[in-house]
Formats: sequence, C-alpha cells, structure tokens
Amino acid sequence: MFDKEAFTLFKFSKKLNQSFQNRRELLDCALPALRDLFKLDRVYFFAWQQERALLSLNMMCKKEYCMDMQEDISVLNEPEFLKQLLRDGLADSTDLNYPAVYVLLRWQKPAMTLEGEEVRQTLKESVGVLRLERLRKNRVFTPAEKKLIKSVAAEISHNLTNTEIDQDKNQRLSVATALNDLAAIFASSLRLSDGLELILQGVQKYFRFDRVRLYQTNYDGTKIKSILGVDISGEVTSQPGDDLPEDERTLLRDIFDSGAPYRTIHNVVYIPLKVQRNKVGFLTFDNLLSRRRIDWLDLISLKQFANQIALAIDNASLFERVQELSNYDELTKLPVRRFFNEKFAEEIYRSKRFDLIMSLIVLDIDWFKQINDNYGHQMGDWALREISRVIRTSLRQTDFPCRFGGDEMVIMLPRTNDEESKIIAKRLKDRINAIAVPSRYTDGQRVTLSISQGIASFPQDGANAAELFEKADQALYWVKEHCRGNFANYREVSSGGKTENTDAPAEPGREEAPGK
Amino acid sequence: MILWVMPDAGAKSKAHYRSFVERFLREHPGAEVSVRVLTRNILWKKIFTLKYPAAGETVPDVIQIPHYWTALLTRAGVAENLSRLDPGLSLSSALFPLRAHCCKPGTKDLYSYPWWFDMSALHYRADHLRRVTKNPEEALATWDGLLDVCARLRECFKDAEGYYPMQNSDWRGSLSTRSAFTAVWGRGADLFDADLRTAQISSAEFKQGVRDYIELALREYMPILRERGSLGTMISGKASMLISRKQGGVSFEGKSSVRVKTLPVPRTGERPQAYLSGMNLMINAAGKDKETALEFIKWCARPDNQLPYAAAMDVFPAFEESFEKLVFSSSSRLQTYSGILASARTLPNITITGTVVEILNRVLAVTATQIVEGRFTPAGLDIELDKAAREADYLLSLYEG
Repeated sequence: MFDKEAFTLFKFSKKLNQSFQNRRELLDCALPALRDLFKLDRVYFFAWQQERALLSLNMMCKKEYCMDMQEDISVLNEPEFLKQLLRDGLADSTDLNYPAVYVLLRWQKPAMTLEGEEVRQTLKESVGVLRLERLRKNRVFTPAEKKLIKSVAAEISHNLTNTEIDQDKNQRLSVATALNDLAAIFASSLRLSDGLELILQGVQKYFRFDRVRLYQTNYDGTKIKSILGVDISGEVTSQPGDDLPEDERTLLRDIFDSGAPYRTIHNVVYIPLKVQRNKVGFLTFDNLLSRRRIDWLDLISLKQFANQIALAIDNASLFERVQELSNYDELTKLPVRRFFNEKFAEEIYRSKRFDLIMSLIVLDIDWFKQINDNYGHQMGDWALREISRVIRTSLRQTDFPCRFGGDEMVIMLPRTNDEESKIIAKRLKDRINAIAVPSRYTDGQRVTLSISQGIASFPQDGANAAELFEKADQALYWVKEHCRGNFANYREVSSGGKTENTDAPAEPGREEAPGK
Repeated sequence: MILWVMPDAGAKSKAHYRSFVERFLREHPGAEVSVRVLTRNILWKKIFTLKYPAAGETVPDVIQIPHYWTALLTRAGVAENLSRLDPGLSLSSALFPLRAHCCKPGTKDLYSYPWWFDMSALHYRADHLRRVTKNPEEALATWDGLLDVCARLRECFKDAEGYYPMQNSDWRGSLSTRSAFTAVWGRGADLFDADLRTAQISSAEFKQGVRDYIELALREYMPILRERGSLGTMISGKASMLISRKQGGVSFEGKSSVRVKTLPVPRTGERPQAYLSGMNLMINAAGKDKETALEFIKWCARPDNQLPYAAAMDVFPAFEESFEKLVFSSSSRLQTYSGILASARTLPNITITGTVVEILNRVLAVTATQIVEGRFTPAGLDIELDKAAREADYLLSLYEG
C-alpha cells in the first residue's frame, strides 16, 4: 500500500541530500522546503539558549525570501507551553491569534575539552525550535500534518548533526592548514625576532583575534623581559617587560605556578610557554574589542602550537646565551678580541661607506707585570676587573671596548674625532687613577693604578683596520716610553708634539715603593 | 558590488532594499549589485573578520554601519579612506551632528558617509491619552509623569486582553541600551567623561537612568521577551504609547481612524534629551569593486534618493536639504522633530563605543531575563554596571581615541 507520509518524507529528505557548509546554509534550504511542503506563510528558526530559557530567533523565511533576524522570547512567560514542547516535541502557540506550531529540533554537535594536556572529543546536544505560521485563522494544522511536521523536524535534526560534523571537519582542516603555514613561517625565518613577529601576525590573521601578544621571560624565567604584540590594526608593537603593571606580573607568576595549561581571565587567554620546566613566556590572545567567543578548537590548537613556539624561543635564547659566553671575556666582562674584530671591521666599512669619522684607543695597564709579581695574581685579576668596570661604565653607548689580550685593551669610538677621543681618554685616566686598591692586597701600602693610552683616528691616521690599530699602538708605545700613565694621539707624537699631561708616575703602580 | 545592510524595516527589509537597488541599477545599467541583510549582531561579529577573509569567502564592498563604529573600523583597517578614493567628497551639506562621525578621530579624512538617521521621540494615541489626561503634553513631560500616565492607562484598559500602555520598539523585543540613553543623559550621566578617558557607567546617575528605563518593564507597562507576533501595536489599539527612533511615517500617517501625536521623550532630569543615531555607509578596504561602491554611496546621498528611502524606512534623511523637505512638507507631527533635533545627542565616535554598547546590551539582556523570572534586584543591576564600567575603563586604557 502506498505510504503517502513516507513518500513525502523521502521527497523532503532528497531536497536536503547535499553537503552544507554550515547551519545557515542548511536552513536556507530547509526552511523554504518546509514552507512549500506545508503551505506556510512564515517559518522561523530559533536557537534555544537553555541557561537563560530563551528562544533566540536566528532566521526567518517568508514567501519571497529568507533572512537573518533576531528576537528573544522567554519561554518562562508560558510554562505550560514549554512543558508540552519538551514532552511532545511539538506545541501550539498559546499567544498568537493565527495558527502557529512550535516543533523541537535536537541535534548533535562536536565538542572538545582539554583535560590536563589531553584533548577529549565529544558530541554535545544542541536544541532549536521551528515556528510554522499560517496567517489565515481557518488554516489550522491538522493532527496528520502535525505528525508529519514532527517527522520532517527529525529529518532536519539529522541533517543538522551531519552539517555540524562536516563543519567541524572543515574547521579542523582550516586550523591544521593555518598551523602548517605558521610552522612554515617559523622555519623560513632567519632571525627569531623576525619569526616571532610573523608568527604573531599569522596567528591574528588565521584565528582573527583582536590582539595577540607574546611575553618573553629572561633566561632563568624569573622576569618578563619583553612583550611583543599585534593589535587590531595589525601593527607590531614591542615594549620592555618593566612596563608591565604589578598586578599583571603577579597574575603571570600565578598562572605559571598553578601549572595550568592555559587560563582565561576577562576574555583574555594566557597560554604558558614551557620547555620541560623552563619558563619561556606566555602566548596570549583576546577578543576584548569584538567580544567574539574564542572557539575551543582554536584554543586547543594554539595550545599545541605554543609548544613549538616555546621550543624555538628556548633554543634561540640558549643560542644567545652561548653566543654571549663566547663573545665576552669571563674575567673582565668585556667583548673578546674576535668579537671586537668583527665589529671593528663593520664600523670601518660603515665609516668608509658613509664618509664618517672614528677613533681607536689602545691601552694597557702600567706596570701590570710588577703588580702581579709584587702583590700576586689575585691582585692582578682584581685590577683587571676594576679597570674594565671603569671602562665599561665610562663610555658612551655607541663605544665598543674589548680585552685584546693580557692587560691590553682596545676601545672603538665611532663618529668621534681627535679632540673628543682625548676627552674620553682623559676621563678614563682620571677615573682609573682614582680607583682605591683594597689594603688586603697591598699589605696596607697605598697603591694607585694607571693606564697608558694611544689614540689614532680614521681616516687621517689609517685607512683600514690594521693601519689604524698599528698607529694607535705606536702612539701607546710612545706614551710608554715618554710619559707612562698618560695618553697621546698618533699624529702629535709622530710629528714630535707633546702629550696632554707628562706628569707620569715614576715607579711601577705605586706612589711609594712597593713593599715586597 | 556586494552590499551588506541591516533589517531596518523588519521582515520587509529585503523587499525595500530590492526596490532601492533597482533604482540604482536603472541609472547604472552596467553595475551588478547583490544585497545581504544581516542583523546588527551578526554584522558586528562579521566586521572583525573582514580584514582577513578565508579562501572563497564573500566579502562585501559597501556596509551599513552605525556612525559610532567608524573610529573602530578605521583603526582595524577595515574601512577604506573615502577622501583618498574621492578627494572631492564633502560633508558640507550633511546635518551638523552627523559630520564628526564620518572621520577618523583627530583627522578630516572620511571613512564613512552619512546615509540616514533616526531620533528618539514619544508617540502616543491622542484618543487613548484623552481618557486619562486633559493635557498629554504636560503629563508626558517628565519620566515620573510617563509612569503615572502608564498606570492610569493600565487601569483604563484593564479589560483589554494583551494590552500594554507602551509598545516595545526594541527589534529583539528585549531591553535596549540605546533606548536607555535618553534616561541616562537626563540624569546628567554619559558613557564616558568629557575627555573620553574614563567610563561613567558606574556613576549613581548612570545607574539611576538605567533604572528609570527598566521601570517600564518592571511595572509591566511594556512587554519584554514575548512573541512579537502575539503583541498588539499602538495602531491596533493594544498599546497607547511608543518610544521609538523611527519617525513613524509609514505606520502612523494615512491611518485616518488613529491620530498619533509626537512629543520629546519624557525627561528624567532638567531638560529633554533625544538619542540620535546615524547610519553611515562605508567601503570595505578589502572590497573588490570600490568604484561602484563609491558611486553607490554618492548616489544614496542625492536628495532625490534620500527622500524616498527615508520615507519608506520611517527614518530621516542625513542631508540638510532633504531633511527640511521631509519635515516641513509633512504633518505637524513630523515638524515636532525640528525641535527635538535641537536636543539630540549622539554616542561618541571612538574605538570602544561599539564594544561598550555591546557590553551594556549584555547587561540589559540578563536584566530582562531576571525581570521575567522575577528575580531582578537593583543591587544586582548595580553590580553588573560596575563590572561593565571596569571593563570599559580597561578598554579605554588599551584603545585611546
């Protein structure tokens, strides 16, 4: 026997038998089909906000077209209606003065949760309601029609589940593509800082967050070193960690200490970046301005991607640390000769290229061998450390000193002429002369330290690094010969001129004869 | 060209837009225009994704926006610099209150262009009010007077099933932030301090203004969260008054049996306040057909297109000539608006205004649910407004200007 209801359902399901990108696309097809099938004047789709007992209108379909709409209806206004709808899956409107029925839709939606570091995937029930309206009072819905409406609603629910699953798969695919692209950006960046900027811009672009920020800690994870950010305009900003307000610093410490994989505070998501137990920093993002909900899939995917970022930052900071150790002399904390030579060559090139001036000071500690012999190597090391400290703290930011070897040091002074370099040399001379040597090294004798300095300037004294160094060294040699403890400029000494101060100490490293 | 607009004429919106666009196409036969109607909620979410569209995603060329989104969309790099596209584009004929809301703050560069605006006013049925007061203008001058009239109307129509003294003009049928502003301003408060650096939401005056407004729902003078189709309108006789930003030409004029009069919104403070909301058009910086988009924006501003559109949508033209033509060639009811315009205020065009309105919408949505569930308390509302103020202050610290 011909089953009319089954045939109608078959025809309806055939209309929906296609792949939809999202719920809206499905409803765009299902609502007109429903309207035509039951000769309706209007069909509405409401999402059910269970926690607020609200039906929220999403979409309306009338004779000519479908469109997005919004309206909120509290089902608490009609408790009997609500009971019937939940019990029977279908209820007549109690308020409207024309025929209208509500029918329940229940479908499944993929969901994810993060438990510790483990991602769990589940299906979560979603609920919606269709309202079918006929505006003429005499066109009431018959029991047979109501039965068919429930069957059709079940068919739509089934399709909603399939669409949600498809949409979730597509979303995962696009997230995976995004992460893959981000990883490629990382791999292709030569410098970490460039890579991080591109990563932050990429995270903002792919996940469409209002702001993305990266807090980097110092090497032992005790302090926020810097904050790199991309705001809604897409511009990259950088600020020192010292600018961070105290309450945010406390918050970050707290998140690290809690061991939580992430934390959301006032719509800002903080993901700690760790490599084993090393605190590397934080990746944070928010939608404070747009107030859009941050999707679980995005959050969990970024949590996993954050591990890659953490590893890259950790590797880079280890590399920086190793580089720092190899570039700096452990005793004096001054750059070593190799590092200096690189910088010196660069500066000479820059000076030639842009027609700039520069000067070089070569210096050594007066009577350094005697200091070691008379007072021991401990005193020698102390003198080296102290003189280096004075040099480091007396120079301008652009000047570049180095321990060239033994007690010999070199200072590069970019964009500095003869006269300016003499001012610096004088400053060093005075400050080093003023160093008070602790009596524990000298058996109570009063000992002073002094240095001799030779100065040469580019381009007058030498046109390349080797020549300039040689001339400064010759000037130093002259000072050693004629007025130890002072400084001289190469051109002055080569033309037989005098130094600024010929009041040289007569004896090695002391005002009175060394006691040993 | 793809046009994104909001459903300003409710369920009839799509049909209105269709006929409006057809007029444009008659003058521009080579152009192709498709229209998508999105609710304000959806549009708000979508504008943040426009800068980086996903592969295959359709991007609009022209978007209808509330005037106070201009600063935000300029900052986000979504809005195109119209002055760059057409250096001759000018606001000289636009109504004065709308001009500052088209520019990037601190500059004269245009990033959106006025289309139309609406303005809040109180409409009432003269025949209904006559039954409860001899002098409606005097009785409805203050908010307390309005509540008193509502009480008397409620009593007068106690036998009329489904009757409410006030019709709810909110398109969601809920409590609306924008409707609350006149009451808030009347109390002397505002969203932000004059220097736009601190939120005023937690001030006693602001809270009192919001409480004034929600009193209509609390005392059940105005329906909230009901099936819209189940509710009667002022015209059908199931309500007597309406505070609306729509001028009501379509709904009220030509209904000879019903005489509707219009007054300023009853004042909560010293003087009446009106909420003026401009609707602008902007060009998407990532749009593909900026030439047609610019042509469309300029076409919309032409007086012969301003007038019929405004009349059809129950709104006001944004340009002086068209505005005066509509108001002074119409009924005396519409002429009332020239007085209301003098007291009209707008929300400031700064980056965070749209977000703060969203935050307050959320507060009022929760309040509406609490009222329906019978668990509303003024203290609870104060707490929510304090939280909103903190959030707004934090946003102000992040996004200045």
